[in-house]
Amino acid sequence: MPMSSLLEFQNITKKFGDMTVVDNVSFSINNGEFFSLLGPSGCGKTTLLRIAAGLESPDSGRVILNGQDITDLPPNRRPVNTVFQNYALFPHLSVWDNIAFGLKVKKRSSQVIDQEVGKMLQLIQMEEHAHKKPSQISGGQKQRVAIARALVNHPDLLLLDEPLSALDLKLRQKMLMEIDLIHDEVGIIFLFVTHDQTEAMAVSDRIAVMHHGKVEQIGTPMELYEAPKSSFVAAFIGDTNFLDGKVTERISDEYSLLDIDGLSQPIRCYNDKKIRIGELIHTSIRPEKMHITRKKPKETSEINLFEGTVEDIIYKGDHTKYWVRVDDLRLAIMKPNSRFILDRTEITWGEKVWVWWHEDDSYMLERYSETDTNMTELPSEAIGEVEEHE
Amino acid sequence: MRSSRFPYLILFIVIVFLYLPILVLMVTSFSESRFGDPTGSFSLKWYARLFQDREIWAAVKNTLIVGSVATLVSTVLGTLSAYALYRYKSYWQTVHYGLIYSPLVIPDVLMGMSLLLLFISFSVPLNLGTIIIANTTFCISYVAMVVLARLENFDYAVIEAAEDLGANWTTTVLKIVIPMLAPGILSGALLAFTISIDDYIVTSFVAGPGTSTLPIHVYGMIKYGATPVINALSTIILAVTFILGILTQYLTKESAV
Amino acid sequence: MTTAPSLIWLILFFLVPTLIVYLFSFRPSEIYGGIGEGWTLDTIKSLMKTSNVIIIFRTFILSLIATAICLVISLPTGYALSKLRGRWQQLLLLLLILPFWSSFIVRVYAWKFLLHPEGFVKQILVSLHLVSPDAILLYQPWTVILVMVYNFIPFAVLPIYAASEKFDDHLFEAAMDLGMTPLKAFFKVFIPGIRMGILMATLLVFVPALGSYVIPDVIGGPQTEMIGNKIVLKTFTERNIPLASALSAFLSLAVLIPMLIGAIAQSRIGKSHSIKGGH
Repeated sequence: MPMSSLLEFQNITKKFGDMTVVDNVSFSINNGEFFSLLGPSGCGKTTLLRIAAGLESPDSGRVILNGQDITDLPPNRRPVNTVFQNYALFPHLSVWDNIAFGLKVKKRSSQVIDQEVGKMLQLIQMEEHAHKKPSQISGGQKQRVAIARALVNHPDLLLLDEPLSALDLKLRQKMLMEIDLIHDEVGIIFLFVTHDQTEAMAVSDRIAVMHHGKVEQIGTPMELYEAPKSSFVAAFIGDTNFLDGKVTERISDEYSLLDIDGLSQPIRCYNDKKIRIGELIHTSIRPEKMHITRKKPKETSEINLFEGTVEDIIYKGDHTKYWVRVDDLRLAIMKPNSRFILDRTEITWGEKVWVWWHEDDSYMLERYSETDTNMTELPSEAIGEVEEHE
Repeated sequence: MRSSRFPYLILFIVIVFLYLPILVLMVTSFSESRFGDPTGSFSLKWYARLFQDREIWAAVKNTLIVGSVATLVSTVLGTLSAYALYRYKSYWQTVHYGLIYSPLVIPDVLMGMSLLLLFISFSVPLNLGTIIIANTTFCISYVAMVVLARLENFDYAVIEAAEDLGANWTTTVLKIVIPMLAPGILSGALLAFTISIDDYIVTSFVAGPGTSTLPIHVYGMIKYGATPVINALSTIILAVTFILGILTQYLTKESAV
Repeated sequence: MTTAPSLIWLILFFLVPTLIVYLFSFRPSEIYGGIGEGWTLDTIKSLMKTSNVIIIFRTFILSLIATAICLVISLPTGYALSKLRGRWQQLLLLLLILPFWSSFIVRVYAWKFLLHPEGFVKQILVSLHLVSPDAILLYQPWTVILVMVYNFIPFAVLPIYAASEKFDDHLFEAAMDLGMTPLKAFFKVFIPGIRMGILMATLLVFVPALGSYVIPDVIGGPQTEMIGNKIVLKTFTERNIPLASALSAFLSLAVLIPMLIGAIAQSRIGKSHSIKGGH
């Protein structure tokens, strides 16, 4: 059943001077979604958010909310509220007065204000701190007040501009969960801007990955992780092994044989994009999809099997990452430590091991990104090197 | 140098050095003796003589008038100036900034001289009016610098937040911007007032023969006599200006957000 | 709109008067006071008379000495202040700044009172046999320097304090770890590290010191006459406006040069900071 989409961006373009910061972006967000705009700095996500808030005007395009064109409405007339990156709490007002501000502006009765602000304080668990000034409360508390101040106005849409970037790691994780819970309670669209993909992946219903002002891909976290449409998305989300090569043979309708730079043998790969023979491609294989063993496994036609030497090991407790030199490449393999056997010696540096993966677990990508029409660029991670996206 | 006590010793000595003469002055104002022997018996007679002196009261009156008017005008002009310097970046603003900054660094003698010559050139009679103009001129710079410092720490996102929450321009200015800036403007005004009531050199250049302010009067007393009446007057002046100073410091500290 | 009011006021009452001063330097002086007709370079030339040159020279020397003393004292003081924490630091900062708020004339008078021939400081010194009973403590060059230092110390300490706060103490430890003695580290690491603060302190003392009037007038005597005193003398006593203007013009230039040097040095230091990223 198609859901009534509540927020729509139609052909939004915004330039600052010579730079096109948002480039003809169109998509819609459904009722009640927790939707993230994800991308590196400068990709246009914050500008797009500010256009939704009314703090910037697009050069062209419309913003539709609940069927109403709000593009020309100033921010104080939109049923939209924003949580700012550094909270922007009014320093001379108490927590209570900060939250009540929007209601007072709308001249609601003091009874209503008391009721609503009280409910908000309960929601964010800050009833005892209501009289304090922003300078007297912690970062995490300020953030909650900022959210309450926005939500108390019952907006149709809540915008969050990298709200967690000013907090330290542990607090970030805690606050992210709280924001998720609040979203479940309140049920409106949350439009969340961040550059941190683990954050976005953890709480979003859908994510739009942005790059150079364009939307690379929109999908659920799983879709983006397992079925990226471009090398940029594949590299930005999670870790992966990138291999460079070209298609040499069609094995069957769905599988092709690839010649990979740096590998002595060709590999079998799922080819759903029907890429033709002779075409250059990137291949992406996630480290957790690869296997590492001492003993040679049974060779079947479905797996790609190689021999290599262990160069680096990082032990992470619940999993171990190995870097294995296979021919001219350095591949990253992630092995979950599912069983701990006391007397067994673990694979160690310099050992000769077998590395293999299923032909279904790699995918081919034609393009670096939506903005790159000829495949001139590789993602910034070098081939075979895997970066930790913290 | 790390764990050495030497710097702290010097710091202590400097503070004592700074306050010792003032303390001696204050103590001796209560002493019976004429030559400031602090072991003399307690007496308020110098204060009594002080209050009987008519000329001092006239001077005090003038000082307060000048201080108040100069503070008022310079606070308005200085705040506007600070806003312009904060908001606009242009060639004119660089010139503007230079003109604001210069009175703070040039010696008072120069400022006094130049204003005197201005009034002479245009045959303006020297009286309370010229004193007010002179005081206002250097006070503008003090107010502007204080308010500018406040503005530079101003989080512009707060204005966007107010808009986002439904406030129009008037409400934002009245309910958010002015309350946030108020402590800064107030401390600028206090600074201007304190500077003005203490000014001697510039004022003396443009005062003319008939008008006297408290600093001018005190200066006359200092140069041509040294009765402890001056000590009594000094003690009062010190007490007042110290209180003003503490007030301003308290204001600036309290609202540093 | 918001620029206009203050800009106009300052042009009217600051820029234009300054130009008038320069202008009047080129006027001749009348014998019995007042401003003569026509233009001449004689007034400026008379600046080079020995009596004037001596005063100019003396002003510079006295100011330099006072500045040097202030600098030496302010270095450990500012450093100590930056190492304090919390309440103590706030309290001492307040104590340091408070004199700035109090009456300048009163503070100068305090010294006149203290060093008065019949004052008790003299009595103590005499009883300690440090000075003879007819010694006069006031009106000497060193008294003027003393009171100048007294007045300007807070202006020197504050920039040093600010620069010390920004100074990374680990550089100290690194230097000593590499074998330097604390004293050597002080001169080779700390001083260069806070050179912006030292520059500021120098300017904040030297420039106003050049323009001193009250201190040499109240505390000093004929031997300690400075440019400021001369200007006042020429203006009010001799009514020789053109010469007073010439002196003022000269003073303003004398003040301008250290400030310009300071500004150039400041931007140089600023550049090296950004290039080397700190040191």
